Amino acid sequence: MNFLSLFARNLIEGPYTDPFPFKPAPTAKRFRGKIAFDPVTCEACRQCERVCPAGAIRFTRTKDGLEFDCWHDSCVFCGNCEFHCPTGAIHQTVDWHLAHGQADKFSAVEHGLIPFKVCPSCGGKALDSAPATAGITPALSAEEAGELRALCPKCRAKFIKARRTRT
Amino acid sequence: MTMISKLKSMAVKSPWIYRINAGSCNGCDVEMATTALIPRYDVERLGCQYCGSPRHADIVLISGPLTRGVVDAALKVFAEIPDPKVTVAVGVCPISGGIFRESYAILAPIDQYFPVDVNVPGCPPRPQAIIEGIAQAVAIWRDRL
Repeated sequence: MNFLSLFARNLIEGPYTDPFPFKPAPTAKRFRGKIAFDPVTCEACRQCERVCPAGAIRFTRTKDGLEFDCWHDSCVFCGNCEFHCPTGAIHQTVDWHLAHGQADKFSAVEHGLIPFKVCPSCGGKALDSAPATAGITPALSAEEAGELRALCPKCRAKFIKARRTRT
Repeated sequence: MTMISKLKSMAVKSPWIYRINAGSCNGCDVEMATTALIPRYDVERLGCQYCGSPRHADIVLISGPLTRGVVDAALKVFAEIPDPKVTVAVGVCPISGGIFRESYAILAPIDQYFPVDVNVPGCPPRPQAIIEGIAQAVAIWRDRL
């Protein structure tokens, strides 16, 4: 009888084989795949570069700003960068379609740019990175966060100090 | 021209796969075995089959960062595979060295020693990714025939 139930199940459900090259494959929600980077929420603390065991992540300072590069051909998908990122600017997607020809070897890169801006308070040039807001109590309002973001690091420290004395 | 392409399509046969372990940690080898042996992934649907001898192979999968101890043997085996052959680098180790990059004991990236055609990054790549790489390799192999 066991054989009959198996036979009936196989008739209904079809083969167990994944139809992958011909149809999309099922992927787990928590699958650790290709790295994605969001330059808007990045604090430019460069912690991800420090913790990356494969040295796949690299920050370079150019005349436009701070450039982020993650080479998928070196990344081992360990998730350290995502774990250590204070703002969640770097995360792993469920995309695993990474097979590519030899010609694309060095273009398989996730690229991002944190541009320079001019501080409205002191007029100096600074990176347009997200401010570190983790330890600030009470939490910043939306306007305050926007104001803080526009400033350079020194003016940000002044802003937070002034706010602390105010409250 | 059409005659030649017609003849080509008639002459097409199934590519056989050979694996070279160039100092791999066995992670990618397990995934490659999974790709072929487990009915869930089943690379034989693409007409591929693993073979035991390099002389029968058409597509070669190389895993591992090419350690210094294994480089001569790997080159010798690679030379025995008849042309036209397609080389697939499986895992990040052969492509860039991965976490072993800049070690004195390895010679990665392997494209300094082997003519690599397809790269499948991952540590290890999942079986479907390997199947994707093999599908690309089969397309290249059909062109070369």
